[in-house]
Amino acid sequence: MGVLHSAIMNTFPDCRLKAICETEGVLLKAAKAVLPKTVAFHKDYLGMLEKEELDAVFVTTPIHTHLSLITDIARNNRDLSIFVEKPLASTYDQAKSACDAIRNLNGLYMVGYQKRFSPIFQRAKELIKKGLIGELLFFRAYVFSSDVLSRGSSWRSRKGTGGVLLDLAPHLLDILLWFFGEPSAIEAATRRIYSDEVDDYVHAAISFGSGMKGSVDACWCLRNYRLPEISIEIYGKNGIMTVSDDFVKLTLNRESGKSQVFYRQSFDTSVSFLLADPEYTIEDEFFLEAIRKRTKPQTDFFEAAKVNAVIDRITESGRRVE
Amino acid sequence: MSQVLARERVERLQLKQIMKVMEKAITCGASGYTFSTHPVNFEIVRSLREIETLDRPFSLYPVLPYAEGYVRLNNEKGTIGLLREVLSRLSVSGKAKLLVKGGLSAATFDAIRLLKAYVDMELTSYLNVKPTRTSFRAVFLHEIVTDLALSFGASQIFDSFMHHVADKYEAKPGFVTRNFVKFVHFFQEHDLPLKQVAIMTPFNKIGFQMNPSEQDCKACYSRLSQVEVIAISILAGGYLGLDEAVEYLRGLPGLSGVAIGVSSEQHAEDSFRKLRASLGE
Repeated sequence: MGVLHSAIMNTFPDCRLKAICETEGVLLKAAKAVLPKTVAFHKDYLGMLEKEELDAVFVTTPIHTHLSLITDIARNNRDLSIFVEKPLASTYDQAKSACDAIRNLNGLYMVGYQKRFSPIFQRAKELIKKGLIGELLFFRAYVFSSDVLSRGSSWRSRKGTGGVLLDLAPHLLDILLWFFGEPSAIEAATRRIYSDEVDDYVHAAISFGSGMKGSVDACWCLRNYRLPEISIEIYGKNGIMTVSDDFVKLTLNRESGKSQVFYRQSFDTSVSFLLADPEYTIEDEFFLEAIRKRTKPQTDFFEAAKVNAVIDRITESGRRVE
Repeated sequence: MSQVLARERVERLQLKQIMKVMEKAITCGASGYTFSTHPVNFEIVRSLREIETLDRPFSLYPVLPYAEGYVRLNNEKGTIGLLREVLSRLSVSGKAKLLVKGGLSAATFDAIRLLKAYVDMELTSYLNVKPTRTSFRAVFLHEIVTDLALSFGASQIFDSFMHHVADKYEAKPGFVTRNFVKFVHFFQEHDLPLKQVAIMTPFNKIGFQMNPSEQDCKACYSRLSQVEVIAISILAGGYLGLDEAVEYLRGLPGLSGVAIGVSSEQHAEDSFRKLRASLGE
């Protein structure tokens, strides 16, 4: 993700990649071989903060390192803006500490929940607000991927640092919180498929304070998912709304109006520079503009900490099914 | 293509059916095959010799690397684990012995040589199995590498890939990009030879995956001459019909080719007959 964000940011006018901190010598050498000579390389991030004149830092390291990095960066420079790749931290306690570390400082602090910048999920949120499917009854949601198809050895497979819940599920959980507000009760079941230390599958029943209830399934061991796939089906008294990365589909009862599908292609998703999905560029442009204009990002640390709270509650209530 | 459509296609099509679709496509006018170096595509290229109607020169357009596979490996094993895996594959293939011997030592690691050795490893396996009637017309660098190199201004990636492919394989070096305008400007600014490369990039009337906009891409294209451009995403991921796509492509005279995905014999027949009739050779 560090490569992705630095590449996109480097294409914006008046924005340049100035320095990279990487502890693996071989990766540092590979980066030096291909990146512009104007980029400085460091093995020690505190040294980098001291030597370089920076406006913003992207933290895209393994999740368990986020808190200490955020704390050190904030302590070192009160004006430096920080973007953290999701999730904010490994636990809710750590996420709260990250919020404390940047409270009352002068930078802009944002977490990479880029689905909120997708015009499809934005349209879905609008349609829910308009009440087109009537009184909300329940939802069914999943996020599936082919990320882990054998026994993994990266940090994602290690206890406290990854697992499907911390790695794949946060985007879906963030969208559900954005749609339905704060959860009131959570019950979950988990399963390990290829991993020894973390869960590969999670099923959670979530009740929201708004009265909305529904189920979430997250699994990263399914074949033929070229990209991670999110789907949310929302059932209302007047119809059903299905949301995915590709479309929003409204299936309304005959008396409630006309059914419609809004495909990704029907939105203008051209961006100044495309790498992976346009949402990343829109998100990074937003971060830059927010720094310039001092506007508060909707995916700030405090909002992102709520996702960590839900993840903790799922972990706490999860019964492992083997 | 939408994620759901792509997944259903993979699940539905087994090699035997895929070869029937290939045969129909070739019979109806397809003159080449664009493919990632996914293992299934290796089997497809190997099986091309069994197609009796393949009685004329047929172009192969490999796209390297098979990016989705490496993203998954990166997730499973981490970046260092991924590099180890690539080096181990290079070692098995006998490519770049010195490079492999150095392993992941920062002192001996050479990113550009690794890229060249990787290209050799991928292409050699295809060279060994492709039928004689087929040839590598162009070898493409995947958009994720092209566009990353573009964003960082890494002209040495373009330069070394171009020379390696042209010198060693006598094929045209190609680049897939979803940032066509920026790509063209970059080549012009860095005096890189646009006329010696092939560019594969989206073109469709709704501007899907065309950046920074459909109008800019079309205007940039119209200012080029003698540059080989192959249009992809002409149906905008299944959103447009073929008639609409063809009508739009008629406004881009001089296109070198069009790449389109098909999922059944009927689909292949309808698509390639129409494209041949409408856009000619």
